[in-house]
Amino acid sequence: MNVSTRFLINRLGKQCAFNRIVTYSTKSTEHAAANAVETEKEPKIKETTASTASEASIPIRKPVIPANYRFIYPEFLPDPKIEWRNPIREKLERMDMLDRRRQIDLPEFYVGSIMAVTSSDPHAEGKVSRFVGICIHRDRCGLRARFILRNVIDHQGIEVIYELYDPTIQKVEVLRLEKRLDDSLFYLRDALPEYSTFDENMEAEQLEEGAPVPVNDIKVVLRPRPWLERWERQNLRGVANIDQYLKDKHRQSARRVQKPWEKYDLMKQYRATIPEEEQNEIFAEVYAELHAQELQRKRNKRKRTFVKPKQLA
Amino acid sequence: MLGGVVFKLRDLGLMKLTGSMVIHVRGKGHLNRPRIRNPHWFLRKKLSNIGELTTSDNKVFINQLVRENYNEADVSNNLKVYEQNLMKTEASISSPSIVISQNRRCGTIARKIGEYPLWLNNGEKIRTTLLQIIDNHIISYIPPEKYSPAHYPNVKNVNKFGCLLVGAGTINPTWLTKEYCGIFHESRVMPKKMLARFLVSPEAALHPGTALNVAHYRVGEFVDVRGKTIDYGFQGVVKRFGFKGMPASHGVTKTHRRVGNIGGGGEKGRVWPGTKMPGRMGSRWRINKGLQVLRTYLKYNVMWVQGSAVPGPTGGIVYLYDTILPHRKKKISSIASLSYENIDKVTDDIWSEKLHRFKDIRMTHKNE
Repeated sequence: MNVSTRFLINRLGKQCAFNRIVTYSTKSTEHAAANAVETEKEPKIKETTASTASEASIPIRKPVIPANYRFIYPEFLPDPKIEWRNPIREKLERMDMLDRRRQIDLPEFYVGSIMAVTSSDPHAEGKVSRFVGICIHRDRCGLRARFILRNVIDHQGIEVIYELYDPTIQKVEVLRLEKRLDDSLFYLRDALPEYSTFDENMEAEQLEEGAPVPVNDIKVVLRPRPWLERWERQNLRGVANIDQYLKDKHRQSARRVQKPWEKYDLMKQYRATIPEEEQNEIFAEVYAELHAQELQRKRNKRKRTFVKPKQLA
Repeated sequence: MLGGVVFKLRDLGLMKLTGSMVIHVRGKGHLNRPRIRNPHWFLRKKLSNIGELTTSDNKVFINQLVRENYNEADVSNNLKVYEQNLMKTEASISSPSIVISQNRRCGTIARKIGEYPLWLNNGEKIRTTLLQIIDNHIISYIPPEKYSPAHYPNVKNVNKFGCLLVGAGTINPTWLTKEYCGIFHESRVMPKKMLARFLVSPEAALHPGTALNVAHYRVGEFVDVRGKTIDYGFQGVVKRFGFKGMPASHGVTKTHRRVGNIGGGGEKGRVWPGTKMPGRMGSRWRINKGLQVLRTYLKYNVMWVQGSAVPGPTGGIVYLYDTILPHRKKKISSIASLSYENIDKVTDDIWSEKLHRFKDIRMTHKNE
């Protein structure tokens, strides 16, 4: 038994060794897989740690802040550029963000989720506009945080950039909470329109409580060239037919600009991310408030009467 | 040499003997040679060897001594009532409630700590810069009659203004020279990292030791911000002045980002002064005038100022003045408005009325 525990602890150590994770990465499958592995192993680890604790009588401190907060609330992590950082400014910014979150429910969402945003618009009829679309991109930190929704309306692709903390936003609904295979879905602009067409009257689909966020592994079919970007250079996983439109020269140039060594560049990774210790500090500051809001959201969810979801899009 | 000898003779009282002597003066250069008269606070600041020769016991002793000496004065956020610290100068006694649109108040030293957006009540997004007033104290006051700098600043009626010396950012006094620490003797505050002088009207003079914080500025007022711009080093003409450069192809060789022509021929056949050419970019003192104070937060001594063009990098030091722009200046304000009541902890976050607070309910555009 002793050997097996050691083995387990070793493996756990190896998993934990990869501390820094890119702030905006929503590479869903890997995380999901990792989570699954963790959840599988958790009871076992707990047992083992309990046994070791009873032997050594060391109190084990359970990490309070969930590990997935950096994916649910990426905008709470500041820009990692060192020249722009200042602890007081970051603190004030977080306070303002929480103030805003007390006024409006900003739910968990990811790139690939289908959302509806109701916002106050002076030029719209009735001064209110509601836009349904798929979130194709999410970026920037702090009060600048924003996301892009895309939909095809009357055969015309429409994209709207929303700022998450803009006070003109009245309501943010997540109609279908899911992730896609890529970090940003700009290639939907060059895909066939049916892949970014969503019904305006779509109803919200409810996920089971505690269930992991599903990953939609749909492969998108691209239109023939010309494209807006050189998609063949971006190592996309959610595109089905990219090879169909490539010539040899495209493949060669794509190979030429690849930088496979960059994933081993620890300094680059360090500069592009917030270290885990700092992340913990930041989330410890805002955890109580965010957690309370989450609980409130759950309560509200239960109050809602169950309606069988309709598959529309 | 000869002059020196003469002076020595005069000193000895032997001038009589040299009465008939002729002193040759070769040129008048020595008469109008500029005399360097630095302000009295321009002193060597840091010790050359900081504690290299002190033992650990001595270090403990020194630190203890420092703590004893500067115990009460080392309070960065002390909220003294501003009015009490106004100096009783002759001017203020003779005219206690004159309109002070002509008066100059003290400025402050601040640090640019970043920028982020705020929203107006009409839904418009604006960019704001956060300025933190770092531990400002009045160090000394020089009245107008005694203030005679070597180089007068380019200010109207400069002889009417006194000079307030303001320090910011506390530093460990054991690192500093004795004479630099002596500057702070009068005000009894901890020695400061940065010093700045501000011209003030005698009515607005403050007692040494007064702390200045963000309550010095009211929300809605306008300030001028002076700072040193970001240093970009030696840059070409495309980056420095936004020249277009030349095409990348079509037969262009070796002159894609170059200046091109710098002048004509004939009578004007020379490089005219002021021609834009490559050179050092940035690192110049610039004043951004007339920025509105939109929000102040007393607890952290931070103010939000409209715009994102405050000179200098994040973390850089800037100097704040009441604006000199005639239309944005405070029109009618008496000396009494210089005083600031103690502000409660509850209301230490003050917003401009035109801003939408994040605590307010979400904003809607109403039907008209």
